[in-house]
Amino acid sequence: MAAKPYGLIATFETTPDVYHAAEKVRDAGYKNWDCITPFPIHGLDGAMGVKRSNVPKFSLCGGLLGFTTGMSLIYWTSAVNYPLVVGGKPYFSPLYAFPVSYELTILFTAFATIGGMFFLNRLPMHYHPVLKSDKIVSGMDDKFHIVIESSDPKFNLAHTKALLEQAGGKDIQELEA
Amino acid sequence: MSTHAATAPAALPSESKSSSCACAGKALGVGVAGIALTIIGLFVSDGHAVALSWLTGVTFWTAIAIGMLMLVMIHHILDASWSVVLRRQFEHGLAAFPWLALLFSPLVIVSLTGTHDYIWSWMNPEHVIHGGHTVGHDPLYVKKAGFLNLPMFVAMTALCFIVWIWLSARLRKASFSQDLDGDLKWTFMNRKTAAFGLALGAVTLTLASIYWIKSLEYHWFSTMFGVWFFANCVRGALSIGVLMLLCLYVRGDLKGILNTNHLHSVGMLIFAFTVFWAYVTFSQYFLIWNANVPEETFWYNLREITKDGAPSQWKYVGMLILFGHFLFPFLYLLSYKNKIIHGRIKPIVIWILLIIAVDLIYNIMPVLKADHGHGDPLPFLSINLLWTATSIIGVGGVFFWAYLKSFPKAKLIPIRDPRINECLTHHE
Repeated sequence: MAAKPYGLIATFETTPDVYHAAEKVRDAGYKNWDCITPFPIHGLDGAMGVKRSNVPKFSLCGGLLGFTTGMSLIYWTSAVNYPLVVGGKPYFSPLYAFPVSYELTILFTAFATIGGMFFLNRLPMHYHPVLKSDKIVSGMDDKFHIVIESSDPKFNLAHTKALLEQAGGKDIQELEA
Repeated sequence: MSTHAATAPAALPSESKSSSCACAGKALGVGVAGIALTIIGLFVSDGHAVALSWLTGVTFWTAIAIGMLMLVMIHHILDASWSVVLRRQFEHGLAAFPWLALLFSPLVIVSLTGTHDYIWSWMNPEHVIHGGHTVGHDPLYVKKAGFLNLPMFVAMTALCFIVWIWLSARLRKASFSQDLDGDLKWTFMNRKTAAFGLALGAVTLTLASIYWIKSLEYHWFSTMFGVWFFANCVRGALSIGVLMLLCLYVRGDLKGILNTNHLHSVGMLIFAFTVFWAYVTFSQYFLIWNANVPEETFWYNLREITKDGAPSQWKYVGMLILFGHFLFPFLYLLSYKNKIIHGRIKPIVIWILLIIAVDLIYNIMPVLKADHGHGDPLPFLSINLLWTATSIIGVGGVFFWAYLKSFPKAKLIPIRDPRINECLTHHE
């Protein structure tokens, strides 16, 4: 099979090994790659050069949308569509629209946050080439892996393999696409 | 929890005793100067106004100390790890309680010996209220008289301070002792103190806010008042806590100890309490606005319009509080960077402390009426604002003097706290 592989997977025995290897891959300038670890490693995001998540931007938009929805809903229903004097209050006041707007702010923020998270993580993802490798089993148990994808602009089978070897990676294998 | 108390791996700079003592002397100097200026105010302005200014000053710093007390206990009851370093600064701040009690005592003494309606009008049954009859014949007072009377006021104020001083002493002793022997029993002792202390703290801070501030207008009803006070207490304590951490970092003590994740966590907590404060304050206003009952609405009317119906200065103070106490800090603290960059978190916590002072002034000072009786409240921008400022500075100087005097008594951070390693490596 001469098809281009999905990428290369290297195995590491300990947390410091994979942490320092991640720093090397980051410094080599790779973008499309990931670490597979059985548990969260504090500081690995920094070692991988991962930027802060963009999910808060989705949350902010959701919140603003929720607030304006609440305010306009109350304005339209009570001052435009069906004006009714209740308790001698004005047809519209932001005061009594506030509880509804507040709740909708929270609701829409929550939806936008979880939706944004799914979107940015490209979830749900029913198939991933790494799942085909038997490495994934040890990666969920007691071993650590780094996967560099061939879609990375810097990817070069020989060079990337050399980099992973030099970073201390064992048992480097090509992943079937 | 590990069975052995951990020891901090970080190099711990030894406390520079002399420098903190010099600072303590300066703080005391500022405090005495502020107090002296406030006393001068007694000869320049009306004594009633200066007394209320003093009440604002003492309440401001007592609120911050209460916030510190509650946060230390919340830390222990939740077995928190990230806030171990911050907790030590709060424990030093708790040393101020006995001095705050002393500074509050003139108000009690005046109430006991001077004219009883000098500060809290309900203390004098002969006080003539709006409409011509006296407090003693006022049904709204008679119904509340079991609670609002001089012996109860003195006893409850004393009880509040005794509870706060006692809880502080227990928490400080256990934490400081652990520095020396690393015994885990101190952690468990503090957890037990926190378990009953949080309930005691909640009751006492509510009582204090009702007796000291809310009863100034004893006709008024609000079930939110204690919660409003609590929100200010905690926000003030967190803001001062950030300032303490940043100062110690600049001085070099916390280099290698304080990281961005600590500031992020404190910043998030300040943000949360910004929303909480707004929720409580809005609820109080909204329920009164909605029900529209004169016994409740008069309180806001006093702070919005003059007798002729024209907007008064207090209306704009209210607007300042709405936008400056909630909206601006809310939007500012949404940003991650504004919470972790020292130069960005510092201005906002200073602003929050200032606006908390304005919030207290808004709740206390409008009780001062133009003709000593039932006229319009004296405006916000008056000579009384000066006496409020000198009071806040005066009590603040004493507060920091107590903090700095306590500072050399313990290690910079609780080095043998079982959670100290987790705190030093705190990660998002």
